[in-house]
Amino acid sequence: MRCSRCGSQIGNSYVRFNGVLLCDSCARDLKIDEVFRRQNALFDQAFPMLDEFPGVFSSGSDLDFANAKIRCPRCGTTLRELESGGQLGCIECYNTFNESITKNILKLQGSSEYMGRKPAQASEIEASEAPVQEAEPEKKTEPKAAAKPAAKAEAKAEAKTEDILAKVKDADLSELTDKEIEDAMKKAAEVEDYALAVKLRDELKSRKGEN
Amino acid sequence: MWYENEGNNKDVILSTKIVLSRNIKGFPFPPKMSDADRENVLGMVRQAAGSMNLNFVRTDELDDNAKADLYNQFYSGYAFLNSDAKTGYLMSRTEGLGVVINSTDHINIVSMVPGSDVYTAYKRADDLAVKFEQSMDIAYTDKYGFLTSQIKSVGTGMQLLMTLALPGIEKTEGAVQVLAKRVEKYDWQMIPMTHHDGLRESGIYILSNVATLGVTEQEIIDKTRKVQEDIIKLENTCRKNICAKKKSIVEDQYYRAYAVLSYCRRIETAEALTLINWLRLGQNFIDTSDADLDWNRINKLTQKVRRNYSDAAVKGMRPKDKSSARAKLIRDIMKGGQAT
Repeated sequence: MRCSRCGSQIGNSYVRFNGVLLCDSCARDLKIDEVFRRQNALFDQAFPMLDEFPGVFSSGSDLDFANAKIRCPRCGTTLRELESGGQLGCIECYNTFNESITKNILKLQGSSEYMGRKPAQASEIEASEAPVQEAEPEKKTEPKAAAKPAAKAEAKAEAKTEDILAKVKDADLSELTDKEIEDAMKKAAEVEDYALAVKLRDELKSRKGEN
Repeated sequence: MWYENEGNNKDVILSTKIVLSRNIKGFPFPPKMSDADRENVLGMVRQAAGSMNLNFVRTDELDDNAKADLYNQFYSGYAFLNSDAKTGYLMSRTEGLGVVINSTDHINIVSMVPGSDVYTAYKRADDLAVKFEQSMDIAYTDKYGFLTSQIKSVGTGMQLLMTLALPGIEKTEGAVQVLAKRVEKYDWQMIPMTHHDGLRESGIYILSNVATLGVTEQEIIDKTRKVQEDIIKLENTCRKNICAKKKSIVEDQYYRAYAVLSYCRRIETAEALTLINWLRLGQNFIDTSDADLDWNRINKLTQKVRRNYSDAAVKGMRPKDKSSARAKLIRDIMKGGQAT
């Protein structure tokens, strides 16, 4: 390789500047090598470049440490500590950093509304959970357990519902009162006879429209 | 110990842990507390627990045996057990149930059960929590619920963690990602478990709830059950599938693992866990008649290898002595002996 300025043979040391090859001495003449020399100087001197960007650092530190200035008056926890580790120092922090906490909670959990139990109130999980565990096998054996009083009452109610539905199905809808139709509609929805329920709903709608 | 008892689905779900965090009004949270405050809180909690049938112990007064017991009983950290901070425990007569005082919060009620019985774990912890709430001035607001030192647990103050052994899912391509996404839908997160020496524990994952606000305790428990169902179903399908398609490989690895664990004289934790992972994968779905092994022993092995107090100790035994002691412990369990 040869220097494109002086044409001399290039040794180990050369500079490629904007795609042009220059030997060491030409680079020095053109003061192109200054950038590279300064980089080398970095290793010889302790922080030689640091004093050249004081402005950059000070403006950066303003941004970086702004959060460090907001403190909890009681425990001294800074907003920065909270945002970096999610750690709070005391109960007062919840008032001091209210906005930031709500924002963080929303980001973490997707909701900031408390829905759990109140303090010192026994959990209601047992009451609502027990049927979940036992309901399935019970449901299956329900018809067999008709001897029990509760089951008897249920069976009666069921029979009554069936009666009403049979009556509504057979009868001319125009002969029934609004209330009868409304009751029958609810019953039909309960026993999942949706076709009948829709029919009854339409009848009710049309009556309301007429009035 | 609680982990030696029978538990539902213990072949997949090793343990279920519930932590309920509560703080007392008028004190900073433990990381910002002075020694005098710590002493006050220890005294107040001890007094409140007077009628609850709990035994109080101070961590700084415990000997190594007692610390090892707590290390296994509540999965407490080695560093926590050996720090000078004024901390304490309230131990219940029920195994796996207790209260850690001045840890991350003033009161951390810990309830651990083997297997997947999340309801029992929660109920036991909640009963204790209600008693503390009745007898102490607990930090609570209508907006945030129970106030805790960590934002992630404010609200119900409830952290639910399950330790899962998923060799089938781990060895099925893409299954871990599928499960992680599935779990995310329930607002849960799944992370691979790392041993205290920094190495990955083969096939072991930790599953924990994320949401503590916007959900009721009932919803968290219900979601847990659904997640458990999904995981057990997927894991068993994966195990069955691998054992059917790669029968000879699984059989070979199973018996190799069995032999190494039965006769090794030195073994590292990571290697032991990898071998146990193969045992777990094959136990239900290949012919294991040549190996004298049952789930109880596999679970005990997993527990003892994963949680060993002397292993976690920074000082004390040299590494090669640790690996010899570990090998002896494993051999004893493999023989069906009563390893301590």
